[in-house]
Amino acid sequence: MMSVLRTGLLVAVLAADLACSSLQAADDIDVHLSAIARTGPGGRGSVAARAARERLSREGLDLLPQLLEAMNTKNIVAANWYRSVYEDITRRELAADPAAKFPVSFLKQYVSNPKHQGRVRRLVLDLIDRLEPGYSKSLIPGLIDDPEFRDEAVAVALVRGDNAKKAGQLKRAIAAYESAFRSARNPSQVSSAAGKLKSVDRQVSVVAHMGFVTDWFFLGPFDAPGTTGFDLVLPPEKQVATGVVLKDTYKGKGGGRIGWKRFQTPDPFGQTNLIQVIAPVKEAVGYAYTEINSPRNQTVQLRCGADDNITVWINGKQVLRRLQWLNGTRLDRFRVNVTLRKGNNRMLVKVCQGPQHKNPAVPNNWSLQLRLCDAAGGGVGVTNGLPPLARTGAVDLRRRIAIKESVR
Amino acid sequence: MSWCRMTGRVAWLVAVAVGLSADVGRAENWPGWRGPSRNGTSAETGVPVSWSTTKNVAWKTALPGSGISNPIVFADRVFVTASDGKNLANLHVMCLDRDGGGFRWHRRLWGTAPTRYHGSKSSMASPSPLTDGRHVWSFFGTGDVFCVNAATGNLVWHRSLADEYGTIENRFATSSSPLLYRDMVLLQVDHYGASYLVALDQKTGANRWKVDRPGRWLSWSSPQLIRGAAGGDEFIVCGSQRVESFHPATGKALWTVGDMRRECIPTPLFADGRLYVVSGPSGPSMKIRPGGRGDVTATHVEWKNSRGAPFVPSAILVGRRYYLVTDRGIATCLDAGNGKLVWQKRFGGGYTASPVAAADRIYWVNEAGVTLVIRGGGDRYEELSKNPIGESVFASPAISQGRFFLRTTRHLVCFRVVDE
Repeated sequence: MMSVLRTGLLVAVLAADLACSSLQAADDIDVHLSAIARTGPGGRGSVAARAARERLSREGLDLLPQLLEAMNTKNIVAANWYRSVYEDITRRELAADPAAKFPVSFLKQYVSNPKHQGRVRRLVLDLIDRLEPGYSKSLIPGLIDDPEFRDEAVAVALVRGDNAKKAGQLKRAIAAYESAFRSARNPSQVSSAAGKLKSVDRQVSVVAHMGFVTDWFFLGPFDAPGTTGFDLVLPPEKQVATGVVLKDTYKGKGGGRIGWKRFQTPDPFGQTNLIQVIAPVKEAVGYAYTEINSPRNQTVQLRCGADDNITVWINGKQVLRRLQWLNGTRLDRFRVNVTLRKGNNRMLVKVCQGPQHKNPAVPNNWSLQLRLCDAAGGGVGVTNGLPPLARTGAVDLRRRIAIKESVR
Repeated sequence: MSWCRMTGRVAWLVAVAVGLSADVGRAENWPGWRGPSRNGTSAETGVPVSWSTTKNVAWKTALPGSGISNPIVFADRVFVTASDGKNLANLHVMCLDRDGGGFRWHRRLWGTAPTRYHGSKSSMASPSPLTDGRHVWSFFGTGDVFCVNAATGNLVWHRSLADEYGTIENRFATSSSPLLYRDMVLLQVDHYGASYLVALDQKTGANRWKVDRPGRWLSWSSPQLIRGAAGGDEFIVCGSQRVESFHPATGKALWTVGDMRRECIPTPLFADGRLYVVSGPSGPSMKIRPGGRGDVTATHVEWKNSRGAPFVPSAILVGRRYYLVTDRGIATCLDAGNGKLVWQKRFGGGYTASPVAAADRIYWVNEAGVTLVIRGGGDRYEELSKNPIGESVFASPAISQGRFFLRTTRHLVCFRVVDE
């Protein structure tokens, strides 16, 4: 009887000890994962992260679910520490036993969740492909609106359309191209899909799809010696709170009168060459004004580029101000979240033109490109709020200017 | 770690390397961009002069991804970086065996934000890594700096400069290779956005100093270090129309020389107490006497010559001769003493890689992968060999321990005299 009791007690003690050890190990893991989470700017937390990495790398595949949840962070420094643990474990397990018991179902769920960080999903997908060759090929086509795998899925849809077209299956080709265009956010894919749709007699608007603002009133050039333009407060800025007066005229660079002139850029990516639209001058300031109709109150991304520096006001409030000379206009160079109210929204843009670079071979561009879109780069349903051109009585520059070449 | 202690350790490691490589004339490492002197030159002898896809090939190893960073060599290890994947943001730091070319370790990391607007020729792995034999520091176009253990590849620290100071923006991806000074890693980050210089603690990655450079436009030039100049050590950077000198320990501005082009790529050279800079295309080469304060353009430029200035490849100095090659393959030799033309020659082919030299032999690798070897230092052009490898090359080569390391777009190849 005593021996049974003694054995029972021993088992209980051992079980308790084991449970404690497991709890402690779990605690340890949490502590080490947290240590890595605290890494950040300035090399912060590296010493603790080194110790944590060393400890965590000794774990087995059981750690993967917890590790992958920790890896789902915007903190790139922490993500790389976690990744080094992940690579150590997976490499070791694959080398030891290619048929090791990876939590494949969990990994597949992880990859399919668009809320997880794209870089981690991609990493996990590579692992699944090693475990189940060809898995990504079957998965990607269904991820055409996925934030991480959209481009690959759009590429698949475009190829599908090409193949259907070659096979004379026009309806299927059109459906594939339309699907690709609808989901594409990458500018080259948008352009490619639009071109392919055109080849099968379907017209789509890249401008609307990407949210480019193409209809403007322009004013200038104002004189701005040297690089003073950025800080000069000229009449349109003084009126910005109450609304610019489009019928007013001003003294321009060179002494002549200047007034607002309407121009709708025909560029498929919404770029306007201000040298052609305003004047071929240097050391000057120009303004662009438009109205945007939003179907609802919404926060959108304003993305723009300009040569030279740019300032933007929406509904009288300055939302962007960037001082950068001689930088060229590049798609989506600057991004800022802005709030649009339902109905008409007033937008004023100031673009400076600097002095000629001392090397006359360096072109002195003066240009603007601006769009309103969602975080992924898709249109947000806004429309042109300016009255139709014929009704404004404004000078229509498009009739006077033949844009012969894109400034891009 | 004090400078003396660190130098001692490096010297010890070099001694080990020498011991391990008794079969070569002088066992010199190639620890970073432009080699041990940061001038592209090596004192090595016994480096092969000729090779082919089969002759004198010690080993050839396929590399993942792409990169134009040069391989670096320390003792029996070769380190190289690459990038691949979506937006080239998947980064690789790799260690290969000097003798067999096999991978000793391979660390994969994520980059924060790929350089915006970079062209297709570039990779996020354009800056060359550097090592002191114990650690490897790598800077990528994604705005990340990593320090890993040279023996294991384990991460020591990571700085996301892109997160902290903004995504790097330029049209070829950033290419400036950092350098080591005392216990710091010094970086030049000039781009369309907010340019800066920063000194990071080698052990922790923390900032030791940072100098913002408003108005400095994009540049790909790697900085140079001048030791023991009249006023002490100097940190030299080329970018946006000027050469600038800073105190490397503090970042304090010392002097400037103007007349550079707006965009600078070649790395300045320092030899015999003089600095040689070039910016192109069609920009000037200048020989500068370091020192002074403020703008010393009028007083410290000893000669200036715009003949044959390249846009991308760095220049090289061998003996009393200063050599350049334009991106289109026009080579120019100037007298380093007075800047006068000695000879000019059409090499042929496009050039991105910078020349390197072992003793008096200069190696020029064009984009088609043909390495032209000439004798340097003399008055006349003397071709020694032309060696095709059959693959495109954009990365600058490395010379170490009697070996010539060439990174093609697909492989890392080690040449060694075995068939002569």
